[in-house]
This record gives sequence, C-alpha cells and structure tokens, in this order.
Amino acid sequence: MNTRQKKLALATMTGLSISAALAGCATDTPSSADAETVAPSTSAAASSAASTPSPDASSDSGSADASSSTYADGDYSATGGYVSPNGPEEIDVSVTLAGDVITAVTVTPDATNPTAIQYQTQFADGIAEVVVGKDIDEISVSRVAGSSLTSGGFNEAIDAIKADAS
Amino acid sequence: MPRSATSSARPAGTAAPAHFDFDGIGTSWQIETPRELDPGTRRLVLDRVEEFDRTYSRFRADSLVTAVAERPGTHLFPPDSIGLFDLYDRLVAATDGAVDPLVGRELELLGYDASYRLRPAGAAERAAAEASGPAGWAADVERDGRRLTTERPVVIDVGAAGKGYLVDLVAELLRGRGYDEFLVDASGDLVHSGREPIRVALEHPLQPGTAIGVAEVADASLCASASNRRVWGDGLHHILDARTGSPAREVIATWVVAADTALADGLATALFFTGAHRLAETFHFSYVRMYADGRAERSRDFRGELFS
Repeated sequence: MNTRQKKLALATMTGLSISAALAGCATDTPSSADAETVAPSTSAAASSAASTPSPDASSDSGSADASSSTYADGDYSATGGYVSPNGPEEIDVSVTLAGDVITAVTVTPDATNPTAIQYQTQFADGIAEVVVGKDIDEISVSRVAGSSLTSGGFNEAIDAIKADAS
Repeated sequence: MPRSATSSARPAGTAAPAHFDFDGIGTSWQIETPRELDPGTRRLVLDRVEEFDRTYSRFRADSLVTAVAERPGTHLFPPDSIGLFDLYDRLVAATDGAVDPLVGRELELLGYDASYRLRPAGAAERAAAEASGPAGWAADVERDGRRLTTERPVVIDVGAAGKGYLVDLVAELLRGRGYDEFLVDASGDLVHSGREPIRVALEHPLQPGTAIGVAEVADASLCASASNRRVWGDGLHHILDARTGSPAREVIATWVVAADTALADGLATALFFTGAHRLAETFHFSYVRMYADGRAERSRDFRGELFS
C-alpha cells in the first residue's frame, strides 16, 4: 500500500487522458525519495478515458453530509489509458476527497512495456525539467561526479579497438 | 546536531588540504584530508583496496569470484563480505531482480569480460549459456553469512555496489586511525566526513566538461552512474537489467546521496530500472535522475540545484 501523498498535475501529461474530474489542494507529506511535482491545476480535465471514478464501497455518494460539498468524501480510483509508441498502456490514479479537496493522490504505473514503465515511473515520481549543461569551470565546485571518469583498463581496451579498426 | 552557518568557513590560517592519490580496482582514487595521511595509514589503505580486488575482481585469474565461476561448491568470503551481500539481498528484492550480482555472465556475453573483448558473444556461445537457464542470486546462490554455495558456475559481479562498499571500508579504516575529517573520492563515488559541506558537479552525461547541477554533500555519500560511462558498441554498456541481460535505456544518468556509499552506489544503478517511489519503500536516499530526452528529476530533499 502506497501511503505517500502527492500532488497531481494532470494537465501537464500530454497525451494521457485520465477521467479524474476533480482537483484541489493536495496535502503534501514529503518523504525521502518523493520527487518534486508542480502544483495541481485547479480543475481538470474533461477527457476521453473510458473509465470514470467510482466511490469505494466505504463512501456513499448519495449521502454526502449537510455541507455544501459538490462531491462526496471518500476514496476514488480511476484507470486511464493512453497510447504509447509501444502500444496502449494504462495508469491507475487514486484520490482521497474531503470537502471537495483532494487530500491524497496515488499514481500507480501499470505498464508492461519497459519504456512505458520508465515514463510512468517518471510521472509517478514527479515532473522532470529539461536541464542544460553549464561549464564546470564556471560553477563553484570542488568535485565532479559523472561519466567522464572511466577506468584505465577499459579505456585502454577501447583505444586498442579503435586502433584495430582504423 | 544542526550545522551552523559559522561552520562553513574554513578557519583562518588553515593550510590547503593534503591529497593521497592512487589507483585501485581499475579506477583513480583520491583521499583528501586536512593534514597529510601518515605513511602507515597509506599502506593500510592500499592493502585494503588490494584485498578487495583479490576477492571480487572478475578480471583477475586469482580472485575469489573467479574461483566461484570456475568451481561450483562452497566458498568462504572475507568477514566484510556479509554487509555487501546483505545489501545485495535487499537490492535484488527491491528491484525484482533487475539488480543482481549474477549479471556477471551477461556482461561477459556482451563482451565486458576479463580480456576486455568488448565484442558480443557469438550465437553458439550465447545459445550454450541460455540453454543452462538464467542465473539469479536468489535461486543459484545459497548463502550462510559469508559462506556461499553454488551448484553450477556463476559469475558474480559486484559492480553495482562494490566500489561504494570499498569506499566505506576505506572510510572506516581512516576513522579507526584517528582521521575524522576526510573525503574519499573513487572517481565520482565519494564519501565526505566533516563539518564543511562540499559542492559536487553533476556532470552532463552527454557533454563532458559541463554539469547539469550541483549537489551539496556533508557527512554523507554521493554516487553517480551513467550509461555512457563505459560504452563499447551500439547500445552496449555496462548497466544491464539482470532479468533480461539487456542494457538499460531511457535513463542516462543517476546521482544518489545516502548515508553510506555502498547504498548510494547500489541505488544509482537500481534507479536505471526501478522507480524511486518503489526503492523508497526499502531505502532512505535522495537522488537526481536524467533521461534521454534531456529532462532530469530530483527528489524533494535533494540538497543542491539543477540548471534548467
């Protein structure tokens, strides 16, 4: 059971249609490896997904209490479909509603294709930003961690192959 | 204890730090300390690294893992192997087998073998390997502490977490010799001990000499992994999904900060295959992960910045 709570940004997922018609202020409980996400759009998102949210058995949509809530409190879940370059994939979204406000969102990747798993995981963890390289000489650092530091034996072997091939 | 702002400035009159550079397990190391390491400690560090190499290098004919590969049966590993193998048990479980020490055979088939053949195996060799079925840490190795028993030849490769683990062993040695402030940097897999945070460039995996961000590390470990770090052919590199034997795509670089270097190292590999939310069920860490499309994501608690 995933108990971590996330903000959800449906509007940013181009090509992904999920019929969660509700959005609000999510509570935000950071845990160690939750990724940053953008703030939720205020109300999303008419969509063409085949599925619709349905209250769990524990919540009775007909008996919302006397408050002016438009939606009954409770846990909702929906499955959205989208077509990836590798074929159709699905993603599960669960939200918890209290007083028309989403208090918890869980996105569960449901993909079978490895590429889709990767992109769904990316979505579940947060929205990634395009990054740009800055010249290391122009930033104040004392160490570098990355890919240019390769082992001696490996580089020698690559050099030998290049020499063979030339 | 919280770090105060005043601790970030180096006390006036402090000399430049001392460096001890050496090569070990096929990579360049540097230990930075406020005062020079004494000769006895330097000797112990070199011995420690050599002992590790003699145990775990599958590139050495005299190593213990080479013996395991050649002779099924029971092999006794050194006492410090228990922590490494315990970590692998957890990594195998948390990644559903994507990270597995027995990926060694697949690496060999793709050409990353003891002779650095760097050419994929022929069809006959691959067919012979596949006829015997895939090897897995859980199914093919019976472990009792540091005693490993195998029934068929298996190739152990501790590349996912081994270097980080050795960084931790060296750090432990330094502390035991009375050194409390140090930086052990094994070519980008590093541990920092001390009051003053260091800033580490996150090197752009496709543009050497540039960085996509900076990590601030204090009393913690940072490890980097990039799929182009060791590339020997079209799509062939050293980060393999142990379940399929295929190199990972899509994710092109990862950086992990954790309390110890073995964990940071292992998770930097695991993040190529497994979602951070899944790994966070088992492990505590912060991270940055970069994708082939140029985007990068970071955990909320990652200390540092990304350039966007």
